[in-house]
Amino acid sequence: MIFRIFRKELLDTLRDRRTLMTMLVIPILVFPITLNVFLAVSESFEESANSKTMKIGIVGDHNKNYTRQLEQIPAAVGPKKIIVFKDSLTLRKAIEADRIQLGLIIPTNESTLRAKQQTIALNWLLDASEVGRSERANLYGSSLQANAEKERLRKLGLRAEQIKPLSIQTINCASDKKMVGQLAGGILPYIFIAFGFIGCMYPAIDLFTGEKERGTLETLLTVPVGRWKILIGKMLVVVSSGMLAASCSLLGLFISIEFLDLAQNKELLEVIHGILTPYFIGSMLALLLPLVIFFAGVMIPIAIYAKSFKEAQSIITPLNIVMVLPAMVGFFPGIELNLNTTLIPVVNVVLATKELIAGTLSLSYFLSVFGIMCLLALLSVLISYKQFGKESNILS
Amino acid sequence: MISVQNLNKTFTLTKQQRKELNTEQKTATAVHDLSFSCQPGRVFSLLGPNGAGKTTTLRMIATLLAPSSGQIQINGLDALINPQEARKQIGFLTGSTGLYARLTPLEIIDYFADLYGVEKSVREQRKEELFSLLHMNDFLHKRIGKLSTGMKQKVSICRTMIHDPSVVIFDEPTSGLDVITAENIIKLIRSCKDQGKTVIFSSHIMSEVDLLCDDLAIIHQGALKYNGTMADFRANMQTTNLTEEFIRIVQTPNAQL
Repeated sequence: MIFRIFRKELLDTLRDRRTLMTMLVIPILVFPITLNVFLAVSESFEESANSKTMKIGIVGDHNKNYTRQLEQIPAAVGPKKIIVFKDSLTLRKAIEADRIQLGLIIPTNESTLRAKQQTIALNWLLDASEVGRSERANLYGSSLQANAEKERLRKLGLRAEQIKPLSIQTINCASDKKMVGQLAGGILPYIFIAFGFIGCMYPAIDLFTGEKERGTLETLLTVPVGRWKILIGKMLVVVSSGMLAASCSLLGLFISIEFLDLAQNKELLEVIHGILTPYFIGSMLALLLPLVIFFAGVMIPIAIYAKSFKEAQSIITPLNIVMVLPAMVGFFPGIELNLNTTLIPVVNVVLATKELIAGTLSLSYFLSVFGIMCLLALLSVLISYKQFGKESNILS
Repeated sequence: MISVQNLNKTFTLTKQQRKELNTEQKTATAVHDLSFSCQPGRVFSLLGPNGAGKTTTLRMIATLLAPSSGQIQINGLDALINPQEARKQIGFLTGSTGLYARLTPLEIIDYFADLYGVEKSVREQRKEELFSLLHMNDFLHKRIGKLSTGMKQKVSICRTMIHDPSVVIFDEPTSGLDVITAENIIKLIRSCKDQGKTVIFSSHIMSEVDLLCDDLAIIHQGALKYNGTMADFRANMQTTNLTEEFIRIVQTPNAQL
């Protein structure tokens, strides 16, 4: 009988456009659209920054030494035009007015410092809030620095190695998978959890508050079927909807990578290919299932209690923030799955998924998180059952 | 047969409800010491003004609400001890009955037939009879949301009768319906009576009661004010018409018929 109720509620839910949007369409489209927009915006920024002529104002370059050096930097870095200014105050005003994009101030005693082989302090003036300015200044600065070092070593009759006794390098032993798991691994569980929650939301409100509001619940409760069976049948649809929404977001990620070619970074692409395995998907869904049941178990008592669709929506929507906000913990490096974080719902699933992506999730932690979430899911189902049995909740 | 003995129902009032009702009391009594019985092949009318406790009484008989005390028997079966078995024998229809707008009449009827455990062979025959009787064949595959009020009412009737209940409960069944649509309900009640079913319906419309009922009970503020046959009620009236007599009984404390 539970399956019969589930079948009817699923059919009813699948005919609701609003639920279909949150359950299927939006989760599938979120990754392709986000990645597409991200790619288009970053390409456009890069293109515009590279093609834009950077006007460089120079003060104090009396013998044109620095102007020549700047002119010799290849145009591939980006087109530039050098303009000589008489004083730094006028240059600063020109930068503030964006007539000039970069300003180079050379000290008045530059020749003396050079002759005495002392440090020459050059100052870049720029508006750092503009994209690409700091990067371009650093690039030009590195070129000037390299030229100055070369000239001074030549005068001193030294080779570069003679003043660089040590060459220290860092070798990263972590796999690309682990690196991506730790740095970008937070975003995936966040999206799955967010869609798991949103996917549950409309069916929960529609199948409980909506049914009460439309006057169909009273009729349904007169049939010779146990109330718990009716609750479980409906709850299964809510949970399926949440799981389907989370799975559709994973499908969207797969479509973005395999068919739309939206992941340009080679390492990232390899890592994502690596995690889109039956093992990863199975483990992730196993972690997500009790969490989605928990979400449904939290929403259903509210939906049963609410007198109208609007009231239910106004309570559950802010709950979205309370439930999904802890999922953002995955964005912060340094927070790891341990005995304490295993006990915190949502956070434990995020951290476990992050470790799953990095390939470092141990079986004991996986089982702990799964077990704790199953207990919470069971508790939330019992609360739902209690609320569904209350006369004041079910009859308007 | 329905037998109701010393039925009581008390609701606990929330803070909000106490504020709305302007009362300090923590509970409200909706039904107080109600006893009556409805016989098969007769139509029993539960009469009372708004807020008299009619809907609460019918919901308790339909096992939707649990009484605070008292007994309810459906065809000799204790509805409080075995509500699921009692529900199998009950058909429940209200004036505000909603239907699933995204489903078709056929899908709804099949769903409720499954929930009532109607055998497939019996169901097909029953569906055929009801669809033909209610002239539903033309809109069986249209979504409920696209049907007229009259068509929806026919679907509700069909849903109520699909398991061929021996006890039929109607809670203000004609409320909000036009005369032509209400006529379907009147026909249904008469047909149930002819088939020997036990019928109980609540109303505050005296003309409807006059037209249909064999026995009646008048309740006011949850308590029984009159219980007897319609023939006795008519014979002992102290006013000139049924509506005036109903008002007299309800408004006069300890009124005698």
